[in-house]
Amino acid sequence: MLTDSSAVAGPASSPSSLAIDGQTVRRTGVTRRQMLQGAACGFGGLALVDIVHAATNPAATRVPHFSPKAKRVIFLFMAGGPSQHDLFQEKKFIADRHGQPIDSPLRKEVTQVGTEKFLALGAMAPIRPRGDSGMKISDLMPHLSSVADDICLLRGMNADNPQHASATNQFHTGVFTEVRPSMGAWISYGLGTENHNLPSFVSIHAPGVRTYGSGFLPAEHQGTPLTVPLNDKTLPIENLRNLSPTDAIQRQRIDLTKRLNQRLIDELHGDGNMEGMIQNMELAFRMQTTTPQLVDLSQETPATLELYGIGSGKASDKHGRACLLARKLSESGVRFVQVTMDGWDHHGDVRGNLPKLCQQTDQPVAGLLKDLKQRGLLDDTLVLWSGEFGRTPWSQDLSGTAPIDKHGREHQPESFCAWMAGGGVKGGLTYGETDHLGYSVIEGKVHIHDLHATMLHLLGIDHTRLTFNQVGRDFRLTDVHGSVVKEILA
Amino acid sequence: MNRTREMQVTCLAWLCVLCAAASSPGAEEPTSPPQEQLNFFESKIRPVLVEHCYECHAAGSKIVQGGLRVDHRDGLLKGGDSGAAIVPKQSEKSLLLSALRHEDLKMPPKRKLPDTVIKDFETWIAMGAPDPRTAHEPKSLRTMDLAEGRKHWAFQPVVDAAVPDVKDAAWPLDPLDRFVLARLDAKGLKPVADADRYTWLRRVSLDLTGLPPTPAEIEAFAKDDSPLAFATVVDRLLESRAFGERWARHWLDLTGYADMMGTSNNVYAEHAWRYRDYLIEAFHKDKPFDRFVREQIAGDLLAANSPQEKAENLTASGFLMVGDVEIVEPDKAKLEADHIDTQVAKIGTAFLGMTLHCARCHDHKFDPIALPDYYGIAGMLRSSPSTHKIPFGVWSLLNSTELPETPEQLTARQKLEADHAEKLAALKAERDRLREEKKTVESRLSLREGSPVRGTNGKEEAVPTEVIDPQADKAALTKRRDELDEQLKKLGPQIQHAEFFSSKVPKAFAMRDGPQPADMPIYIRGNPYAPGAVVPRGTMRVASWDKFPPIPAGQSGRLQLADWLADRGNPLTPRVAVNRLWQKLFGEGLVRSVDYFGTRGETPSHPELLDHLATRFMRNGWSQKQLIRSIVLSRTYRLSSTNDASAMKVDPDNRLLWRMNRMRLDAEALRDQLLAVSGELVPSNGGPGLVLEEVENCGGLVREGVNPPNYTHRKPRASEQFVRTIYLPVMRTNTATHDRLRSFFDFVNPAQIAGQRSQTVVPTQALFVMNNDLFRRRAKALADSFVFQPTGGPAKAESSAPDGGTTSQSTDNRLDQLWLRVFNRPITHSERTAASEFLAELDATITEQQPAEKETLKWLELCHGLLASNKFIFRF
Repeated sequence: MLTDSSAVAGPASSPSSLAIDGQTVRRTGVTRRQMLQGAACGFGGLALVDIVHAATNPAATRVPHFSPKAKRVIFLFMAGGPSQHDLFQEKKFIADRHGQPIDSPLRKEVTQVGTEKFLALGAMAPIRPRGDSGMKISDLMPHLSSVADDICLLRGMNADNPQHASATNQFHTGVFTEVRPSMGAWISYGLGTENHNLPSFVSIHAPGVRTYGSGFLPAEHQGTPLTVPLNDKTLPIENLRNLSPTDAIQRQRIDLTKRLNQRLIDELHGDGNMEGMIQNMELAFRMQTTTPQLVDLSQETPATLELYGIGSGKASDKHGRACLLARKLSESGVRFVQVTMDGWDHHGDVRGNLPKLCQQTDQPVAGLLKDLKQRGLLDDTLVLWSGEFGRTPWSQDLSGTAPIDKHGREHQPESFCAWMAGGGVKGGLTYGETDHLGYSVIEGKVHIHDLHATMLHLLGIDHTRLTFNQVGRDFRLTDVHGSVVKEILA
Repeated sequence: MNRTREMQVTCLAWLCVLCAAASSPGAEEPTSPPQEQLNFFESKIRPVLVEHCYECHAAGSKIVQGGLRVDHRDGLLKGGDSGAAIVPKQSEKSLLLSALRHEDLKMPPKRKLPDTVIKDFETWIAMGAPDPRTAHEPKSLRTMDLAEGRKHWAFQPVVDAAVPDVKDAAWPLDPLDRFVLARLDAKGLKPVADADRYTWLRRVSLDLTGLPPTPAEIEAFAKDDSPLAFATVVDRLLESRAFGERWARHWLDLTGYADMMGTSNNVYAEHAWRYRDYLIEAFHKDKPFDRFVREQIAGDLLAANSPQEKAENLTASGFLMVGDVEIVEPDKAKLEADHIDTQVAKIGTAFLGMTLHCARCHDHKFDPIALPDYYGIAGMLRSSPSTHKIPFGVWSLLNSTELPETPEQLTARQKLEADHAEKLAALKAERDRLREEKKTVESRLSLREGSPVRGTNGKEEAVPTEVIDPQADKAALTKRRDELDEQLKKLGPQIQHAEFFSSKVPKAFAMRDGPQPADMPIYIRGNPYAPGAVVPRGTMRVASWDKFPPIPAGQSGRLQLADWLADRGNPLTPRVAVNRLWQKLFGEGLVRSVDYFGTRGETPSHPELLDHLATRFMRNGWSQKQLIRSIVLSRTYRLSSTNDASAMKVDPDNRLLWRMNRMRLDAEALRDQLLAVSGELVPSNGGPGLVLEEVENCGGLVREGVNPPNYTHRKPRASEQFVRTIYLPVMRTNTATHDRLRSFFDFVNPAQIAGQRSQTVVPTQALFVMNNDLFRRRAKALADSFVFQPTGGPAKAESSAPDGGTTSQSTDNRLDQLWLRVFNRPITHSERTAASEFLAELDATITEQQPAEKETLKWLELCHGLLASNKFIFRF
């Protein structure tokens, strides 16, 4: 029976069954060894160490396919689909016809509601050149504008589905309906973790289980969902609160369980799963105190809090905390940190609603970039900002009676904007162009698959070789698609 | 732009659809071209096409890229995903030329051809693209070597294998044991000893019913020394409804079942529960598996002898309806194609153990399954549409069918509707009354404020002449008006809700043949906007023993498919089915890839045993219960799960079954066991899991709303936390608090089709058992049942002789009972010591409680500690 934890903690223990080039691994089988790896997280005293957490410590660092530019990713997910027509690009054709009908480019089988009049809807605020690069960014995002030269704006993003759930699935897993691993899980699977005491994938304010699921990959690659508590009622991780009257009583109870468990293992002459359960219980016990410490930002300097826009009563407080936590996790070696900021789904009154979202997110996001840069982390940290799709250049009015300035915009996967920063991409580059409407991509198209391929490439992984065998087939994050967008590589 | 197309292929810029408006292919049909032109083609064009293009764009290509074939004239005229490749005499409209010039699209991709060659193509197109080549029929389909394909073990006929001889003739209890022992003998391995009776009883109870044995059942079995003792237990378990509840849930994992239609918008699937209840009944009644298959594929087309049978058949076909259907997809052609794909995938996986859906876009890469196999089945499903677009908005709904009712059911239903109508009328009357009063109040109020009152006819109404204290009266009136507003505000949604759900006609999501059943075209690269050759409806040829029977005109062909699936000649259906049963009982299948029997799957560990079981299965009228009974009464099933060092060395994965595999309980068994042990489990006869009758659970109940009606599980039924887990509603967006256990313990995501669950061990599970309310409450109920029983336990214990000697009689008694209830076996001496010490330690730790509370708390902590232990969470 394998019980020596030293045998499973080191790099040599990377299970051969998880080899990148697709050796057969059984779907349901989590081997005893993986199980132990799952459980054999460190026992340090740091708060960070113990968030060790929920998804356990994925195997040791693997060798990438080639020299990586980025070691880790922070994905800022703008759930709902931000309007690129108000934030990053203004089309003269649309601006000139604001409030006027335009021709629909939609194929006739596709129905939309509230867009029947096809009225052009111009940008709500000036979109101006910024920085040395002259990248165009809206006045709504002054903080992002101040770091324009660090980001690479992708204006030819392209996805395949106009529904939130499907598009969100595609953005995270490459497909709409099937249950597949999330990109964070793939990256964890491909690269393991930089820090053996930490999960390799954390999702802050995750928008649904499938966005951090490990699909057919071993469960250790599943993301750990984390909530940044804004009050005493919210727990950063579920079931973190001890229900016994005191910690001492709970400790005694856990010791009883442990004793029973150990006796059982002895009776059975060993069992990997059960060994894992014992260690996990110890871990879970410590997480009760260490996790709240981790999300506690009271020790941060006022300058740091200010940088991220953190402060009670500030619109940017929640996302500021999430972004600061993301930086801390990333700095400590978490491979893939996702921060979700939702509320971008502006079907109505985009002019009223969009500024609020910008107030909530602009400073945290820009603060994160500045902080990463000043700490020398931006060079090998890839930051990605995107929604699951964008929005239409024509207006939507579900009431049928609202004035044009109260209209919103419908979903648009055909083209939208995203940006990347750091980690081997060209700062200050604006890549991709759409037609006169801002509907079809005419140049520099980056499909989700291409984005995934590029992200993996920056991490030193060949997307065609990161595979996992399942029901006889080698699966990839990029399925049978995707090509690296070489033009944006620094 | 064409979204669907882009979904399929992103590597080609072939997408520009520049030629979409060009003259239709073949419109300009040449009479036989002059010989010199043909010579030009043969010398200049054909060799180039063969050398540089055929690899990816011809009948023999592994995959025909972009759906384009250049190996015959029509292929070029018709083109691929992006339209015509050439337009005769119109170079500027010919995509092929543009590609050769490496403009938008670059072909050949690696190296541009010499300019002289491109010039030749220009010349050739200018002369009208003379080309003598014709396609072989059927177009774009490569011939599959069926004979070669059939050599794979899973496609060969099931053989009734001879039962092997074994050295130790006393060991086998069932013929199946001989197959197992023979393999062990051959490897020189010895099976471990039998499990003790307590362990076996707990094992078989959990496996068959998902519930642990009760103390009474344990004692009865412990005392029963008749040779039939084991069989008595098994028969009792098989007859219980709990068996149906347990095994129906296994089947649900193969269906994508949820109480929501798709993942978007939380659209409730209000009839889905009928399919779940059908399954429970089907397993409970041991519906013959061949019949079970037929009903689920074509129940709507089967003859029925009674309204109940008809209703059952219709409901069964819900197999093809439940699942993640993205009904809000605005592109209906794509919605249809995607839904058919999930149906084909489900049929392939659940019954055949085949990844049929791989052949949607191209021939299967590994298995002898070609596009026509996929589209043969897809054609049947396309002939039986299962969704319909609502006339307004963009969304669709699953089709539902009214179920026939018996006269009694009809009477009961009409009574329900009458009551409902009465309730609705009362609500409306109340609303009218309130409105009336509000009008009066407002008119009096406005009088006080001195503004004229406008009546409904728009004219000023006569001002009442009474005189009262204006100030006091105004305050009272304002208050009353606000009250009325408040009441009206509540009443509005109630009335809307009552109107929306006024019909009580029983319905199910059932299949039905559409008005025009027909063969369908292959969708090139899965794209419904790129239809290719039409293929006849049929099935997977490599697993067929005969030609597929003709489909009568006007029928979808599902009936014929159902018969084919359920035929004794089908090599896959019985093997896949018995392997699934085996996997549920042993933790691993004889074929470990339970959902995939293809060439890249695992081979059976005991091929003859698999066939032996399949043969017995069919011989016994496809009875699942019969087979399960034989298996659990076998010696192999009776083995202990203890490790053996020498066997471990030879066969660490226990492929040869020298011992029983241990399993962590799945989410359902874990929760159900908690409720059973705490004594809180409430039986249920099924019915809707959703609580649609609660107004606050429903949203968007507008007949012509922009968004479909939706459901949020805000107000569950009181009984919900105590019924078995299979009865809890399954949401697709997994945020519901009622369902946390399932998401932590490897519940299959309802968008997934998977016959075997993962068994992960992650720290969040430890947190769950330590701190979640579910465990804490069950522990409390369990503790209370002991503490508040003065006799020391709910049932009189026989085996309560105190052997610890350190605790009181009553504590000993309680521990005896507790162990029997939680671990289903007597407490051991060392366990008694550990528990007693624990209680004593707690006694010292707990300082602030009153004696009675202290006693309760001590037992609560003890119970919680036991429930969190692996002895409880695993089955051995």
